[in-house]
Amino acid sequence: MKEFMMIFTGADYADLGLSPEELQSRMGKWFSWGEKMEKAGVLRGGNALTPNIRRVSGQNRTVTDLTSAEVKEIVGGYYLVEAKDVDHVQEIAQDFPDYDLGGTVEIREIMVFDK
Amino acid sequence: MEPKLIDHLFRHHYGKMVSVLVRIFGLPHLETIEDAIQDTFIKATLSWKNNTPQNPEAWLTQAAKNRVLDLFRKLTAQKKRVPHIASGIDTIAIQELFLDTEIEDSQLRMIFTACHPYLSPKDRIAFALKTVSGFSSKEIAAALLTKEETIKKRISRARASIQKENIRFQIPKGKALAKRLDSVMEVLYLIFNEGFHSTKKEIIVRKELCSEAMRLCKMVLNHQNTKTPKVYALFAIMCFHAARIDSKTTHDNQLLDLQHQDRSKWYFPLINLGNTAMHKAVETDTFSTYHYEAAIAAEHLKAKTFEDTNWKAILHWYECLHKLQATPIHLLNMAVVQLQDSRFRESYQLLQQLDPESLGQRSYLYYATVSEYHSTQKEYAEAIVHIEIALRLVTNQQEKEYLEKKRIALIL
Repeated sequence: MKEFMMIFTGADYADLGLSPEELQSRMGKWFSWGEKMEKAGVLRGGNALTPNIRRVSGQNRTVTDLTSAEVKEIVGGYYLVEAKDVDHVQEIAQDFPDYDLGGTVEIREIMVFDK
Repeated sequence: MEPKLIDHLFRHHYGKMVSVLVRIFGLPHLETIEDAIQDTFIKATLSWKNNTPQNPEAWLTQAAKNRVLDLFRKLTAQKKRVPHIASGIDTIAIQELFLDTEIEDSQLRMIFTACHPYLSPKDRIAFALKTVSGFSSKEIAAALLTKEETIKKRISRARASIQKENIRFQIPKGKALAKRLDSVMEVLYLIFNEGFHSTKKEIIVRKELCSEAMRLCKMVLNHQNTKTPKVYALFAIMCFHAARIDSKTTHDNQLLDLQHQDRSKWYFPLINLGNTAMHKAVETDTFSTYHYEAAIAAEHLKAKTFEDTNWKAILHWYECLHKLQATPIHLLNMAVVQLQDSRFRESYQLLQQLDPESLGQRSYLYYATVSEYHSTQKEYAEAIVHIEIALRLVTNQQEKEYLEKKRIALIL
């Protein structure tokens, strides 16, 4: 078994102007997906990230504070899962609830040195 | 499923669900949250009537998650302040809160909220029993021997203080932690004592209170920042007393004193648990009143028979206790111990120093002890005079019957 990270680049719900009912149904889908992974025993953890970004870059360590509005694709969070291979994770990712809102899932394998 | 089991399960889950939801939505929504959970239980009772789910715990956790969604919708529609959900991904953070360790952390926050100094001590107990332990106002009233109305008032006053003072749903840090922890221990100790000393006929109620206090105390001990030697000492007292709970009354609810208790009924696993806690409690240089009280309780349990009791050791612990916290009741206890140890003159001197008025409602204990002293001196007329004063002053029915039996023995 290997570990993978599913990195989510999400749609901003506030921008989409979701109604309270839509919000509830969206969140319900996220809950069910999490529970499904838990039941299957593949979930190893996860975190959501706040939209505030402090970026440090360049020789001069230039600091820029950004918000989600200023970044085209912002990483909103990740799940860590255990799976046989990347195809298995792709299968798990079928249930990601926000494809229709333009969200994406990026699957990356956790690197391990164990030789 | 039996109604009794359902009650127990609901009570247990009530505290968990309230705590988790408050962690998500904040204390300002406490009342809405409690109503929503109440509602969930009503729905569960109805839907479980015909078929109980295979895993009722999981059913309730699922229901709590559904309540999160409902509350989001409801509060958003009412334009109330809710946590900002920027995207569905954010629900990962909410999901985390339903992990067992996080649930326990939330419950601990609720205990610390209940014991906030802005709440009056009486309100703290009622609020804790309701919000942390899921007892109904009626059950709390029965346990605390007060009217249901009074309990309801205390709970709503506590809620109001939490709103008014804008109390944060947190375990305090640093200096504030030590102080609040003291208040938490006090509340747990009181809840336990209400159970242990209750005169309620139903032993169930008494045991529920005691075991609830112990459960919460264990929770405090599970947390890195709050597992202090003092809390271990408190837990030890609870274990030592709880070990005796079945032997302190007869089958018809008559009080039995230590001398007449059937020691084979003491529950040894609890005594062992208490001893383990005590070992951790003494890993400190400063002993608290809880330490000495635990030492006294342990000393009683060590004796195989009443006659084997090491009264000298007990007297020593009482002296330490009195040095730390000078109260007339400790002095009275010292006099009682000296009587048992046949140090009659010292006991009498101590009794003479005591002003029964200073004992307040417990002054009957003073007169009962004076009576006991005279009885050991074969001064029966004096003994009868004093037991009669004690009988006039005692209010608790069980203790009244106990003293009455003593009086009759003196007359015969």
